[in-house]
Amino acid sequence: MTPGSANRVLLRLAGAVFVLWAVATLTFFAMRLIPGDPALAILGGPGSQASPEALEQARREHGLDQPLLVQYAAMLGRLLSGDLGSSYALKVPVADLLAAQLPGTLLLAVCSLLVAWVIAIALALFSTGAGRIAASVGHGIELAGAALPHFWLATVLIAVFSTSLGWLPPVSSGDLSGLVLPVLTLAIPLAGFLAAIMRESMLDALAQPYVLSARARGESELGIRARHAIRHAAIPGVALSGWALGSLLSGAVIVETIFARPGLGRTLVQAVTVRDVPVVTGVVLVVALVYVLMTLASDAASAIVDPRQRAQASPQEVGA
Amino acid sequence: MPASPTTATTLRRSLLPLAASAVLLLTACTSPGGDAQSSAGGEPVEGGTLVYASGDAEPDCLDPHVGGNYPQALIAGQYLESLVSIDEDGEIIPWLASDWTSSEDGLSWDFTLQDDVRFSDGSPLTAADVKATVEHIQDPATGSSTGYLALGKVTGVEAVSDTVARFTLSAPDSALLESLSMPWLAIESAAGIARGIDENCLAPIGTGPFVVDEWVKQDRVSLVRNEEYNSPPADAAHSGPAHLEAIDWRFLPDSASRYAALQAGQVDVIDNAQPDTLAAAADAGTFTEIDAPRPGASNRLELNSGKAPFNDPFVREAFIRAVDVNDGIDALFFGTAERSYSALSSVEPLGYSDEALFDHDLDAAEALLDEAGWTETDADGYRVKNGERLSLAFPVSTNQSIPAEQSLFEQVQATAAEAGFEVTISPLDLSSWYGALFSNDYDVVSAPYTKVGPDVLRILYHSASITPAPSGYFANLAQLNDPELDALLSQASSSLDADERAALYAEAQERILGSFTVLPLYDQQNHFLLGKQVQGARAINTVSTPNFYDAWLSE
Repeated sequence: MTPGSANRVLLRLAGAVFVLWAVATLTFFAMRLIPGDPALAILGGPGSQASPEALEQARREHGLDQPLLVQYAAMLGRLLSGDLGSSYALKVPVADLLAAQLPGTLLLAVCSLLVAWVIAIALALFSTGAGRIAASVGHGIELAGAALPHFWLATVLIAVFSTSLGWLPPVSSGDLSGLVLPVLTLAIPLAGFLAAIMRESMLDALAQPYVLSARARGESELGIRARHAIRHAAIPGVALSGWALGSLLSGAVIVETIFARPGLGRTLVQAVTVRDVPVVTGVVLVVALVYVLMTLASDAASAIVDPRQRAQASPQEVGA
Repeated sequence: MPASPTTATTLRRSLLPLAASAVLLLTACTSPGGDAQSSAGGEPVEGGTLVYASGDAEPDCLDPHVGGNYPQALIAGQYLESLVSIDEDGEIIPWLASDWTSSEDGLSWDFTLQDDVRFSDGSPLTAADVKATVEHIQDPATGSSTGYLALGKVTGVEAVSDTVARFTLSAPDSALLESLSMPWLAIESAAGIARGIDENCLAPIGTGPFVVDEWVKQDRVSLVRNEEYNSPPADAAHSGPAHLEAIDWRFLPDSASRYAALQAGQVDVIDNAQPDTLAAAADAGTFTEIDAPRPGASNRLELNSGKAPFNDPFVREAFIRAVDVNDGIDALFFGTAERSYSALSSVEPLGYSDEALFDHDLDAAEALLDEAGWTETDADGYRVKNGERLSLAFPVSTNQSIPAEQSLFEQVQATAAEAGFEVTISPLDLSSWYGALFSNDYDVVSAPYTKVGPDVLRILYHSASITPAPSGYFANLAQLNDPELDALLSQASSSLDADERAALYAEAQERILGSFTVLPLYDQQNHFLLGKQVQGARAINTVSTPNFYDAWLSE
């Protein structure tokens, strides 16, 4: 490794740590600055009335009687030692809670990303170079898809595939069929977005000299697009996939609630409702961490897909 | 990545099977061996798993002694039982206690337990368990709320013998039996409690027809039949163990998905069915509905009489005359909710109603405002007095008010504006909503409260409930401060004479309604929808929670 690249890695790491610190800090203060007492929410679910003694006890137990800055410092201290704390409401370590909920959400997000890619590639292949009508239809589908709100799409998918056709269960039950609708809900808008980006660079690619030469060699239009142009078109999509995975984790909040899937999103919703600060912080940190890691990974992936980027990124290495 | 089609036409056609390729991809993503539950039923009477989908929040703890809210009561009724229950006529009937007697001064109650009842861990039910239960609820560590307040006058429980538990009270409590019927005061095994809060929360040990088998957080609680069960309440339809083999208790927060799951046959019973769903279900005709309003207080608006402008009774009456809720209830609830004119739920036998107090009369409202000195009107059409606009803060808890109810509040806002009230609705999450109440930053509020019996009036309207505890907590949100009312409520709560008690509560309610601090809306809604295959299920008449002891699946 050259000194230049070592510096780059260090800078990246420092950036990642800064992002995580900022996220933890913002979450902590945002949760605290909203009026209301977490101890009340912990003990006073709908329709119940907590006794004053119980509230005092809850405050002491969770250190909520300490000044805000002391609580903040305590939280940072815990985070630095790798301790995410304990849930106010569920009374279990946050790390255990997240470990149990993360796989379900990751599965959902990764499957959605893959399905989105499949749809996006198909859309891009279909709508470029196949005439103006196909192009505008494709473009329309992309725009509409990208603009669909998750909650609306989920409702429509349930109405069509569960209620009317009876093909797929409306709520998840842990098996494959229960995963289809949640995945489609997340994948369709993302696919529209990815396809729009891919089509642009696909059109670019089709105007490149190597496409001309391939045509001259007698390759079919589709072959050219599938073998040459798609690779070029995929570059911006790959670069955005890290971001996309992060945004899928956020989308999971709605999808997990509607389809009753266990996962980080539902955990977050419930934790916010009861002002369960350690859990909210934990979930937000995990999502931020995934964002950071995925951005790094997609940078690396872009470099693999696009040799030029490698060349630009590290001229010394190429030269050596 | 996907195979590349060979021609442009197949490419176009391949758009259709996209969904299929998505499914193929999903296959690759899914771990095999998900627990595919066999669809419920098959046996006409015995066996089967009933799938229940709850729209209420998932409890933090399955032991309703800890905290004590409605989501806990919903599920706890399947594995925990109370000393007494309430039948259809509102009479107290035996359950775990076969008999009870009170001393003449009302300060001591002896409960005789049923013979030969066992907890799900095999240990026998004794008076020591009753004692442990009460101590558990009164221990600040459990943070018990509803249960704790209901036991306010109980100073202790003594095990006179294995089968007789003696409650001692600081003052006579006419609500004791009603309180003891509630799931928040259900009897748990002393040995179970001794395991500590954390372990007890995961699977409380009770005497109920089902036992907690597994709790998958954010997903479901699996309940299995208690094969040794022998302690049904006096109004049950059969004896011996339950017909159902198991209950799969799922948490489905989205109401549309819940109904879709019921339609698809994925679940057998749903709770929190929303008004539009009920209307759709009634049209479909393929489901059974259980309409089980909650006891205690009705859903109502409380007017904060502790500060301006509602410290003026004319202004309160003007507001109540100005708002028109009937049309809103009809339109928004599709006929599933009935207007109430009482501070108490329609299932409370001692509820007192006075429709005439709540006539919608805009002219009367305006005359009252004139009389109260709000004579000027500003450019926006709102009343003004001494340069100040007639403004009301109305914080709404979005966790507790269903969308139909929130729309109703907007109707209240619109109709109040016609008389010159400016109502500012703030939708808040639960914690912020509590914050607004505790900082006295509200003029109008809607707060649910569930407790069996009319003694709920004492909690809600006795002046002792105004003084905020160090925590800021208080239940008298109308901030009614009426010594005569206090006396009536205290007397009623101590009177063990049924007729005297009824008369006192009637008088108390007359005073409450006459103070124009309360605008009753409708009962606290509790609607369950059941697939036609579900037979014999009912809501138990204490706090209207579902009971599946007698239930069976016909398909």
